[in-house]
Amino acid sequence: MNPKESSSAPEAQEEQGALGDRYERIKAAEQARKALLARRHYSLRLQIYLGFFLVLLFAAGIATALVLTMYQVEDKLRFLEIVNDFMIEIQQARRFEKNYFLYGTNLSDALENVYKAREISNRNAEELNAILGKRSMSPIFPNLEQYESLLEELVALKREDQPGPRHARRKKEIEVALRKHGQKLVSVAQDLIAREKAALSKTILRSRNVHIYALFFLLIFMAANAYLLGSRILGNINRFMKYASRIAAGDFSPITPARSFRDEFTDLALAINQMLLELERREAVLIQSHKMRAVGTLTAGVAHELNNPLNNITLTAHMLLEDYETLTDEERKEMVEDVVKEADRSRDIISNLLDFARESGAQVETLDLKELLEDTIALASNQIKLSGIKIEFKATDHLPRIHGDSQQLRQVFLNLILNAIDASEKGGKIQVLALPADEPNYVAVKVIDFGKGIPEYVLGSIFDPFFTTKAKGKGTGLGLSVSQGIIAKHGGKIRVHSREGMGATFTVTLPVTTLPAEMPGNERTA
Amino acid sequence: MSEEGLDVLLVDDEAIVGKRLKPALTKIGCRVEVFEDPREALERIHQKTFDIVVTDIRMDEIDGMQILEEVREKSPRTKVIMITGYAMMAVAREAMEKGAFDFISKPFKPDDLRKVIARAAEALGSPLDFGFAETKAS
Amino acid sequence: MSVIIVSSDSYRKGREVAEKTAEALGYEYLDRELLKAVAASHDLPEDRLEKALRESPSLFGISSKNHARYLAYIEAAVLSELSRDRVVCHGLAAHLYVLGVSHVLKIRILADPEEWVKLTASEKGVPPEKAARLNKREEALQKRWSLGVYGIDETDPSLYDMVISLSQIDADEAVKTIVETVSYRRFKPMTYSIKCMKDRELASRVRSALLERFTDVKVRADGTTVVVETKALKREKRKKAEAIKELAGGIPGVDYVEVHVINDIFRQAAESFR
Repeated sequence: MNPKESSSAPEAQEEQGALGDRYERIKAAEQARKALLARRHYSLRLQIYLGFFLVLLFAAGIATALVLTMYQVEDKLRFLEIVNDFMIEIQQARRFEKNYFLYGTNLSDALENVYKAREISNRNAEELNAILGKRSMSPIFPNLEQYESLLEELVALKREDQPGPRHARRKKEIEVALRKHGQKLVSVAQDLIAREKAALSKTILRSRNVHIYALFFLLIFMAANAYLLGSRILGNINRFMKYASRIAAGDFSPITPARSFRDEFTDLALAINQMLLELERREAVLIQSHKMRAVGTLTAGVAHELNNPLNNITLTAHMLLEDYETLTDEERKEMVEDVVKEADRSRDIISNLLDFARESGAQVETLDLKELLEDTIALASNQIKLSGIKIEFKATDHLPRIHGDSQQLRQVFLNLILNAIDASEKGGKIQVLALPADEPNYVAVKVIDFGKGIPEYVLGSIFDPFFTTKAKGKGTGLGLSVSQGIIAKHGGKIRVHSREGMGATFTVTLPVTTLPAEMPGNERTA
Repeated sequence: MSEEGLDVLLVDDEAIVGKRLKPALTKIGCRVEVFEDPREALERIHQKTFDIVVTDIRMDEIDGMQILEEVREKSPRTKVIMITGYAMMAVAREAMEKGAFDFISKPFKPDDLRKVIARAAEALGSPLDFGFAETKAS
Repeated sequence: MSVIIVSSDSYRKGREVAEKTAEALGYEYLDRELLKAVAASHDLPEDRLEKALRESPSLFGISSKNHARYLAYIEAAVLSELSRDRVVCHGLAAHLYVLGVSHVLKIRILADPEEWVKLTASEKGVPPEKAARLNKREEALQKRWSLGVYGIDETDPSLYDMVISLSQIDADEAVKTIVETVSYRRFKPMTYSIKCMKDRELASRVRSALLERFTDVKVRADGTTVVVETKALKREKRKKAEAIKELAGGIPGVDYVEVHVINDIFRQAAESFR
């Protein structure tokens, strides 16, 4: 046995009442705490961060793609520019070439343009190569080179200045070749430009599509994230609302894990469990202090009731003293026996009250309602005698047993009976009836008085805490409110029916025992 | 009164009260009739006129006040002594106003009652020889 | 054959009625004159006792400890006078501590406001407006005093058997009414009510003796048995109970003393903070 257990065991035995019960409660709360904390941690904060991180990642991806596309567009534009420059030079060269053949002028200008074109092509060779790939670069150069060499030859021919048939024929040949290569050169450049333009517009279109799709995707993703996050929060809020109404109904069992992970709501659940312990402690204090008030009321009656056995003892003792010598042994024995009997009676009178006054926590057991009510009436009997009121008690035979805390239930019925006494005129009567309730599986206890009745306008508020119709200092206004709390904890209800001038009927309905050892409310899971 | 001594009727639903007080009062020269049931006591009161009636107040069905009223009605000279465990000012005043001779709260000693009875006897004009009990009490 | 306690908003009017009633009935008359004897027997200045009857305990006036003592002396003296029967008592706050005794007839005399103002005005030599204000203050003061010291509002009519307003009925008629009322059988002493008075008298005697040494004691008596309630710290409990038993046991009329010591939680709390 571990030392902790052994030290707490005798205590629990000693005070099986309130403390024992409280230990149970604390144990249950501790178990709930452990169960709540034992789960994987997946906090709301994490979910929010995760959502935002994914959005950020996606946005960064799109931005990168857009930047890359932008570079591509830029490259293509530059390429177009270069090719365009190139073409302009070539076209210029061809114009000079034409002039030469038509008018014999400007051949050196044409050559100069060709040089420039060549320079452009050379200067940007790398770039062009990068864009077109090496393979596609080759068609431009051969033609340009041939065109250039032909032009140079033409220039050389012109410098020789010896017109002759061979010379003319060669010129003719060069002219044809020159035209062929020039045309080819231009068409290649044009073709390049057209191709690149198409590619450029394709790239721009793609970039636009990426924009639109990304926007759509982002919208869907964020909607989904909002939905998940929202339903998680709202679901939990709903769950806690249910807890709140359960607690309000008097069920103080701790919240137990409902999901497979823990988060901020787990902290809330832990705080609520702590609050429940405190609430329960306070309720116990309230019930006890209210009970002590009832005890105070009963004490006056008991004090008077005690006078009877006390008187019997006094008279007997004095007569025994006075006549001791003249009495027979038999008579003396009888008198002493009377004293003993009356002393016992005195003890019984107070023990009932003391028993009730003793602090004890919720001890749930099966109860015989008839017995319980008889006990309660016995408890109030002096008060009833004192106020000159008659009480009638009737119980249906073989009432099903109920489950509950006998002390607390006695307190409720006592409270109702004392209220009925207060409401009754001297010489009036009170009826207490125990019978099966209208609903199946419930029993009802009716406490009926024939007093002034409760005015309709206060009927709605009589169960409210601190509501009282009694004179200042006479009632706390907590009796019915505490009673209602106790009955609610037992899974029952208190109802009142009253008409002014016709008395009032308080009906307590309680569930009968169907399953052994089950107090309603304890089996609830969160 | 036909002969010496007083006719006393005592009613208390506590049996021991009658059982002990009967010899106590007999000793001072009273003829005591004891009843536990107030109904029977009332019947007897209607049959016979007593000098002194001692009655408990809180009893089932018929209470001491009712007995007091009926006794006073039937025989105004009868002295009624009320004894009760539930003594309170209002009850005491009510009993006195209804014509009780005295009002004693329980618990009391036999001598307390004997003294009252002696006073009642005096008021009735037939004093008791109370010396016996007096010496015992002191 | 009874006891009459007269209380009034105006001391002088109350005294007038009480004195005349005593005269008419041939009863003894008791008022603050009694304080002389009380003062003498306890070796106290008389005006301190009178002050205790008028003023609540305060920081600059009478300490609450002395206040309780003085009143206990007065109570004991008054109760011992009252238990002799055939007494009219006035001005000693007896209506606040002689409760539940059936042969005590408690009367409240309400002075005619106008006459009371005139009386005060001539007595103190002030204009009527000021006298009215003084009376109002006096009344409020008395109410506060009774609530503070005995927890009872002495202006509450349900405390009395009869309330007579002198603005409608003059003093002589009031006396006649009182004389007639006290002849009702219900105000006759009986064994029970005499016992009640004796119990109160014994309790007050024991209490006034205990207050010499202890504070905060409540005493009830039943026959020759006395029950004392007091507060003490746990460790002092036994010692205090024994001291009380010894002291109370020596008082004439006491056979048996029972002491209930309640744990003094306030002092305990105060000491634990030290």
